[in-house]
Amino acid sequence: MTEILLEVKNLKKYFKTPSGMLHAVDDVSFSIPKGKTLGVVGESGCGKSTLGRTALQLYEPTGGEILFHGQNIANLSKKEFRQVRTKMQMIFQDPYSSLNGRMTVRQLIAEPLIVNKVCKNRKEIEERVTKIMDTVGLANRLSMAYPHELDGGRRQRIGVARALVLEPEFVVCDEPVSALDVSIQAQILNLLMDLQDQMGFTYLFITHDLSVVKHISDEIMVMYLGKCVEYASASEMFKNPVHPYTKALLGSIPIPSVESCHKKRQLIQGEVTSPVNPKPGCRFAARCPHATERCRQGDIPLREITPGHFAACHLI
Amino acid sequence: MDERIKDEILKIEDLSIQYKTDLETVYAVNGISFSLKQGETMGLVGETGAGKTTTALAVLGLLAERTAKVTSGRVLFEGQDVCKMSEHELQRLRGEKISMIFQDPMTALNPVLTVGEQIGEALYLHNEQELSKKEIDRKVEETLEMVGIPRERKSEYPYQFSGGMRQRVVIAIALVCNPKLLIADEPTTALDVTIQAQILTMICDLQRKYGTSVIMITHDLGVVAETCDKVGIMYAGEIVEYGTLADIFTGDCHHPYTEGLFGSIPSLTEDARRLHPIEGLMPDPTELPEGCKFAPRCTKCMEICKTCQPGVWEKNGHQIQCHRFTENGEVKR
Amino acid sequence: MNKSRKHAQLSEFWRRYKKNKTAVMGLILLVIIVGMALFADLIVPYEKCIEQVGADRLQGPSMAHFFGTDEFGRDLFARVVHGSRYSLLIGLATSLMALAIGAVLGASAGYFGGVVDNVISRIIDVFMCVPPVLLSLAVVAALGTNLRNLIIAITVSCIPGNVRLIRSVVLTTAEQDYVEAAKSYGTSNARIIFRYVLPNAMGPIIVNTTMSISTMMLSAAGLSFIGMGIQPPSPEWGALLSNAQTYLFVAPYMLLFPGIFILLSSMAFNLVGDGLTDALDPKLKD
Repeated sequence: MTEILLEVKNLKKYFKTPSGMLHAVDDVSFSIPKGKTLGVVGESGCGKSTLGRTALQLYEPTGGEILFHGQNIANLSKKEFRQVRTKMQMIFQDPYSSLNGRMTVRQLIAEPLIVNKVCKNRKEIEERVTKIMDTVGLANRLSMAYPHELDGGRRQRIGVARALVLEPEFVVCDEPVSALDVSIQAQILNLLMDLQDQMGFTYLFITHDLSVVKHISDEIMVMYLGKCVEYASASEMFKNPVHPYTKALLGSIPIPSVESCHKKRQLIQGEVTSPVNPKPGCRFAARCPHATERCRQGDIPLREITPGHFAACHLI
Repeated sequence: MDERIKDEILKIEDLSIQYKTDLETVYAVNGISFSLKQGETMGLVGETGAGKTTTALAVLGLLAERTAKVTSGRVLFEGQDVCKMSEHELQRLRGEKISMIFQDPMTALNPVLTVGEQIGEALYLHNEQELSKKEIDRKVEETLEMVGIPRERKSEYPYQFSGGMRQRVVIAIALVCNPKLLIADEPTTALDVTIQAQILTMICDLQRKYGTSVIMITHDLGVVAETCDKVGIMYAGEIVEYGTLADIFTGDCHHPYTEGLFGSIPSLTEDARRLHPIEGLMPDPTELPEGCKFAPRCTKCMEICKTCQPGVWEKNGHQIQCHRFTENGEVKR
Repeated sequence: MNKSRKHAQLSEFWRRYKKNKTAVMGLILLVIIVGMALFADLIVPYEKCIEQVGADRLQGPSMAHFFGTDEFGRDLFARVVHGSRYSLLIGLATSLMALAIGAVLGASAGYFGGVVDNVISRIIDVFMCVPPVLLSLAVVAALGTNLRNLIIAITVSCIPGNVRLIRSVVLTTAEQDYVEAAKSYGTSNARIIFRYVLPNAMGPIIVNTTMSISTMMLSAAGLSFIGMGIQPPSPEWGALLSNAQTYLFVAPYMLLFPGIFILLSSMAFNLVGDGLTDALDPKLKD
């Protein structure tokens, strides 16, 4: 049994809005073994980005625990937390807006080293920046360039380099490839997976793209309106989806092959409802074709369907 | 598909478009040709900067006058050259015969007008049959129901609609005049998959019902597979491969770029640890390479590719612009 | 190595600044005007501007008096040249002080939000209710009339507008992803404000500051006019201008020359400000 690097227990994050409490993340638990990838999928507004940010303590959790190496990071002193923060980093979605346009490539990558004071002198900073640029495939001649002079793929490499220069153990990837063209997307995915093989990173990979999540993840969590509706290994999830939402999601992906031409599909009606003051019961009930009265009463816990495969549905 | 009329509704011949600024010239579209028949859907696939949107804007005569220049070729819509039309003729063309759906439904609607007013706008502007206010109102309601929005919602404002619903409104605006040609520029890219599936299905149904021709601009090969009859793969302003859906998605005669695109998508059905991306980047459109534009990234690049622009290989309508298939204009295999 | 990099950045900045022809023109103009202020005593002795010659009252421009003379027979050329000292000092000092205070308050309000924003904004709202001139008047009346107090008074009247502007640009900049990214690798708030938020919000701030320099000179003139600013016989452009109003039909040149100098210097500052904004923005490189 491999060591569990990050464990999240009953994590909750609510936001106060004028119309009520927004349940962005509602009672979500998971654990990621060292060197593995947990993929989180869901549509916009399902709370997947909030989950990633709360796990990194960018947002203060409303409830629940985050254990890193078995230690609750909420209880750490400021100094200890700074130490842990260098071990947990994030790669952002948009390589256009997540880089400060007033800094050169080298300054951008050196920034985490400088603010966390991990290097003894300038020379060490220079060395580490040069090394990580080489690792992520950024040519050294680009070091004085500004991000706007580069294309999306190179910028995202800067984003990756900036997250990895501190040599973290855990990296939250928030839709790192969805703003990129397919051919560049594949380059970055390969890069992330190679780096994981070489350096043993642990990823929390957030995306709305099911084919990407299947490709990169060991385990997958499907989220709907702040709740985890299904949790299983990647292959099991795609072979044997049980939750009606997961099934609908998988059925909606356009598949690039001739057979899918003009085929009739199972569509789910309606759109994601608001996560503000949600009613009790299954959050998906409003769109679910199989919903019954029972689904609308009381919360539905995750149940283990087969070993390692969890789902939150009455009908299974 | 409807077999009644199979006229060529749109024909593009050797179209080249450049954007000129004081400092540089961007070669956005470089000699593309294709034609579209009534009721057909053509997919234009390519990455950012491949010239897809520029092509679409040229069809609508919407290119920025000050910077963009059509340097060669023609865009024939029902036999008339769009590039030579006056602004007045173009205005009649747009909305009435050709409509466009834009990528982002959040910004494509005017927030201070009700959706009903916005849908009716096109009818007022192109009021050929001199419809009365009441008739226009009824038409607006019909169109709304056609795209799956209850007619009562016509007096609501865009902010009261969700993303998917707004895209339906955008589509209603595009379709209210029963255009002959619909250009959809990444219509579902900004939407979630379940909503994307709804919208795509709707576009296909409406198209079959009304016999509209569609140009579907997208970067998603999955979307193409589900909606299109013909596909053009664009790279650096050229159509490098063109054919029916079956030509592109099956067989083993392909342009290396097409192969690269397919290799880049993670598969849902097979397990592969590594993807096979295309190495390198799109060439800078201000300094396109001599010879084949794809040569610097091509794994099968030969000496001739670096210096000589490849000709077009063709077999039963399946066209590939690559030296591996042609030699001095002659078909090699 | 550090030094040479700084040097390289400076020469890079200059190379980009040079490209903008109007900005270079503005800079030349500014150098001339500042030079005039610095070397005023070499150009014309100070005595000339307070020396009253009864015979030369309200003379038009001539070789003896380039810009003519005023109602007391004082040489206007000397008064304009020496007046540049007061005017530039007032314009620059008030704008920069208002910028510094406005940046700190506005950036804190926009970046931290919540209570901080509420407190700062409400105080600013109160100040906004009072017309700027009245505010300056109140300050001068309370502190007494001298140059230092005049500068303080004008600065105070300008701060509310600056805070509002800077708060609003900071609000939008602070929402950018790169700010969140900076937080994710543990950057301190002060560093985020000074390295990330302010540099990216700089454009409108610089424009506003350079524009305000001429406004400041004119408000100093207004105060001088009602006797609350620079005290006679000290020359100051705004004071010269308001003084000239009385003789508008008899001696229009009295209005003309100080007016031209106020115009030229505000134009110079604006052009240089535009040039700075462009040259400091790496996105506009080449």
